[in-house]
Amino acid sequence: MKKDLSKVRNIGISAHIDSGKTTLTERVLFYTQRIHAIHEVRGKDGVGATMDSMELEKERGITIQSAATYCSWKDHDINIIDTPGHVDFTIEVERALRVLDGAVLILCSVGGVQSQSITVNRQMTRYKVPRIAFINKCDRTGANPFRVTGQLRDKLALNAIMLQLPIGLEIDMEGVIDLVTMKAVYFDGDQGEDIRIEEIPANLKDEAEEKREELLDAVSMFSDDLMEAMLEEEAIPEEMIHDAVRKGTLSLELTPVLIGSAYKNKGVQLLLDAVNGYLPCPTDVENIALDLNNDEKEIAVSNDADDKMVSLAFKLEDGRYGQLTYIRTYQGTVRKGDTMINSRTGKKVKIGRLVRMHADEMEEIESAGSGDIIALFGIDCASGDTFCNDGLNWSMSSMHVPAPVISLAINPVDNKAMVNMSKALNRFTKEDPTFKTYVDHETNETIISGMGELHLEVYIERMKREYQAEVEVGAPQVAYRETILQKAAFDYTHKKQTGGSGQFGRVAGYLEPIEDIDYEFVDNIVGGVIPREFISSCDKGFKKSLAKGTLTGSPITGIRAVISDGSFHAVDSSDIAFQMASVGGFKQGYAKANPVIMEPIMKVEVEGPSEFQGAVMGSLNQRRGVIIGTFEEGNYTVIEAELPLSEMFGYSTTLRSLTQGKAEFTMEFSSYKQVPKSISEDLIKAFEEQKKDS
Amino acid sequence: MGYEQLTSQNPLHALSMGEERNQLGLVMARAGLGKTALLVQIALNAILRGEKVLHVTIGETIDKTRLWYDDILKVIIEEQKFDNANELMEMVSKNRMIMTFNESAFNRPKLEERVNDLILQDIFKPNCLVIDGFDFVNTERQVLEDIKDFAENMSLQAWFSAISHRNDDRFSPTGVPAPCHEIDDMFDTIILLKPEPDATILLEIIRNNGEAVETGKGLRLDPTTMMVKKL
Repeated sequence: MKKDLSKVRNIGISAHIDSGKTTLTERVLFYTQRIHAIHEVRGKDGVGATMDSMELEKERGITIQSAATYCSWKDHDINIIDTPGHVDFTIEVERALRVLDGAVLILCSVGGVQSQSITVNRQMTRYKVPRIAFINKCDRTGANPFRVTGQLRDKLALNAIMLQLPIGLEIDMEGVIDLVTMKAVYFDGDQGEDIRIEEIPANLKDEAEEKREELLDAVSMFSDDLMEAMLEEEAIPEEMIHDAVRKGTLSLELTPVLIGSAYKNKGVQLLLDAVNGYLPCPTDVENIALDLNNDEKEIAVSNDADDKMVSLAFKLEDGRYGQLTYIRTYQGTVRKGDTMINSRTGKKVKIGRLVRMHADEMEEIESAGSGDIIALFGIDCASGDTFCNDGLNWSMSSMHVPAPVISLAINPVDNKAMVNMSKALNRFTKEDPTFKTYVDHETNETIISGMGELHLEVYIERMKREYQAEVEVGAPQVAYRETILQKAAFDYTHKKQTGGSGQFGRVAGYLEPIEDIDYEFVDNIVGGVIPREFISSCDKGFKKSLAKGTLTGSPITGIRAVISDGSFHAVDSSDIAFQMASVGGFKQGYAKANPVIMEPIMKVEVEGPSEFQGAVMGSLNQRRGVIIGTFEEGNYTVIEAELPLSEMFGYSTTLRSLTQGKAEFTMEFSSYKQVPKSISEDLIKAFEEQKKDS
Repeated sequence: MGYEQLTSQNPLHALSMGEERNQLGLVMARAGLGKTALLVQIALNAILRGEKVLHVTIGETIDKTRLWYDDILKVIIEEQKFDNANELMEMVSKNRMIMTFNESAFNRPKLEERVNDLILQDIFKPNCLVIDGFDFVNTERQVLEDIKDFAENMSLQAWFSAISHRNDDRFSPTGVPAPCHEIDDMFDTIILLKPEPDATILLEIIRNNGEAVETGKGLRLDPTTMMVKKL
């Protein structure tokens, strides 16, 4: 039986940390009867919320990995991707966004739009994800959903429109008024499962009328029928309003705002209705694949379950039963027993078990159609891989993967830890493309690198907990790079005569800076002065040199190496001889090419009360920051600045003490920039001393 | 640092700007004709001459304001075939600070407090102030005089933008439209942007450095790039 795709929703739940995302998800699962009891995130029952499947998350009360969960509400199938709320895990958020059709943006009615919401909103805009907003925690002291709606408009530039009004706020919150149906909705029973619909309380009648007018004004832009009905002053059917809201939401020009309190079980069912009603189904969204057989031409996927199959692996998890691969199907049907091809590796894989995930529990299924999100067992792949069958060779558009900016050395405490550590690292690097690891051959240390201090800390914790790998952790290091500023020629002869066959090779040419590419090799040899078979040896030699720059031992990027001359010896020339000659030539040219050190610059946003603006700016300025601008609204300020990552260590402590803990900051990688002279000299000196020591 | 090449070719030279301190400038136009583009070019021109610009935007985001600079810089780099693009971009971002305010959050004491903060802590000492999005309709003359005072005390050159409306036909005797028709005497330089039949936009210079001038010095905004051109 073919599934009705208009009744499928793939949604994400994104939010600032601590705005109650996990609690909300828990309620959603309860009302859709996927779970039979509600556990609190920091609950006393020790079970923890269902979505936080990892031990660590349970302990810290935060959600780190996104788990896909299936549920159904009023004959719609909803797949929920729970996404992490901290900026250091944005690759997780971005990956989740890629496979979503729509999203719920959760905001705290007290905290409002915070820096993380801004980042998440920016990501959603980048991936064109239609969203609805849910203002949570309306039961808290200081709750003000109207102010938060204003912030959605001002700070996120969303056309936010309230579909509901609260009946009482803070501790008095009883329910909400639905401005579409013009009814009051109450949530009775121990867990708010009984919905009681009544007339609007008399004291709120006028306000509700007024807000309804605002709502109609805003949505009438999306429906001619509605506009007409308003002009004629006819009664407006509910359906017409729903349609207009949906149209506005899908075109990303409208953001409906719902309110409630997940903790107090208020408003969640109406949110589910809104998910069904306003968020897109898979066919409403155009997804683009790249045809690898046809010069990466863009093709829109068909969403047809009878078509050839295309699906994307967006998340891997190491479960109790081996590797679990979450996939989203874009067209065709995934069936148990079928084979499919990984378009990155070209390898054929057989589909063994197919399951629908519910956090830690799973349900075995036979097949899954287009638009579905499910998990597979026993498939070897990396996340971001595309699977096709029937001769298609498509790849879902590649995801934007930022380069790691921070690294630290880890040393296992004993042999057992060492074995477990390598298992863990192998797993993490597959799961998370922003997490990298390698062994430094000089110090014999294992180095891990990622997007921020917290990012690495979480992995170290996970190693300890999930893999029993105790490690000693070194101080975090900034990932410096080296590059050259000018063109320089080289001409180097490698000659060795130590009995037996000797080594001979001469390579000449030049190095020059290039932008946007790490390395390019150009072969301008004519007349066979270097024999064909040794050209690749030269390339190899240059590549070897790029791994470690001479200034600080950091990798070299942005170089074009051109060879235009050389000579060889009929007997003594060999692969290794030309590699050595190229290494020598590179060294010679590099020294003359004005090499410099580059450091990662972070885009930093600090937000907090305006009274601290001066102090915060001063602290940023001291840390070699360039302040780009400030945004001031009432007594609240956001400062945007660019700072070197090396200056950001320990900034959270500084900021806390400067602002009595009232300000917070987020940062993301911006670009690599040249290190100022004085600091560059220090770095070079430190590197030389380190060389001497070892 | 080799930016003379860029400043000497700038047609804004006709305005004899930057030669005197404490001048108050005004750019007026109907919505969408390029006020911000012109203000940003005036600001960039100041930066290239070695000044520091504080760009105050009321009712817009930092990102949007920054984008204006980036876009116009890109056009300049392309038109002038300037080699060291990255260095130029960096130089500009170091000599420019954007301060954005929500409509209701902007007033003189606040601006003064912020600027003093920047100067005292040695973070940024502006010589040029650009205020985009100032609400002239609901502002008393006194408020503007206050800001003018402040600019004079800080020896800042200040530039404002103002929106005129099609259906408001009040003018000052010198030809300055509402809402600035009653305060036009406060400005040393006034530029009106007017659409021309050929889709370019004329810079009508009503007053230049205190002197009333004949209109038509031949400066226009190219409608595709929004750059000032001499025709």
